[in-house]
Amino acid sequence: MDTITEFRKFSASLDSLEPIREFLAVSAQKVGLDKSRTYKLCLAVDEIATNIINYGYLNSGIADGIIDVNVISDYEKLTVILEDTATPFNPLETKLPADDELELPLEKRAIGGLGIMIAKENVDDFKYNYENGKNKNIFCVVLSQGKMQAC
Amino acid sequence: MNVIIKTSRNIVIITIEGSIDSKTAGNLQSQIMETVAKTNNVLLDLSGVGYISSAGLRVLLMIYRQIKSKNGKVILVGVSEEIRDVMSITGFINFFEITNTLENAINSF
Repeated sequence: MDTITEFRKFSASLDSLEPIREFLAVSAQKVGLDKSRTYKLCLAVDEIATNIINYGYLNSGIADGIIDVNVISDYEKLTVILEDTATPFNPLETKLPADDELELPLEKRAIGGLGIMIAKENVDDFKYNYENGKNKNIFCVVLSQGKMQAC
Repeated sequence: MNVIIKTSRNIVIITIEGSIDSKTAGNLQSQIMETVAKTNNVLLDLSGVGYISSAGLRVLLMIYRQIKSKNGKVILVGVSEEIRDVMSITGFINFFEITNTLENAINSF
């Protein structure tokens, strides 16, 4: 099966968030992902990219960080891989708000972990690994119905 | 992102256009919080907002807390299905009154 790979480098700056979302939206449109699921994919990636920019590179003391965005699609699934060289950070080890915390009145809610929770909830699969000095955040969306195991 | 603030019948109407992400949320916050601090009634018109991330939700949370502490009211109008979804996942949806038209929103205060 044919695989399409697209790759673009972005500077690790908040100015890159909208261009990253636009790049993903165009790539997703090419493989027929619908508007609603494209929105969710962009949201998931945006939340993790924000963490990389605001915390990862900032904590690493790297001023001119780069985020590599890879989009790989094979008609069954679309995979987005964000790569950065900031301090190792596994979002899956972050404590997420528990269900009962999500029901707390907003005036009592802590706001931490919301972005990572949003990221996980809005794609079919989210993985993280660290190899060759790079954080890899991997988002997967199933493209064809009934192929949930594709991710 | 554009922000327009108007006051009508003791209701502060904040109209936002564009995307609310980590880049724009801080700017939005600094443009509106001073006004929000001086009123009990806030109507947020999000008809022109195509995208909102957790950074935008944080601004909504700040407005809510500020107004709630004064026993005031916050109403949202023009909330897209995608934004409703993210408000739903995070449990925000239960705390905001959402109406479909500006007129309904104004009449709800």
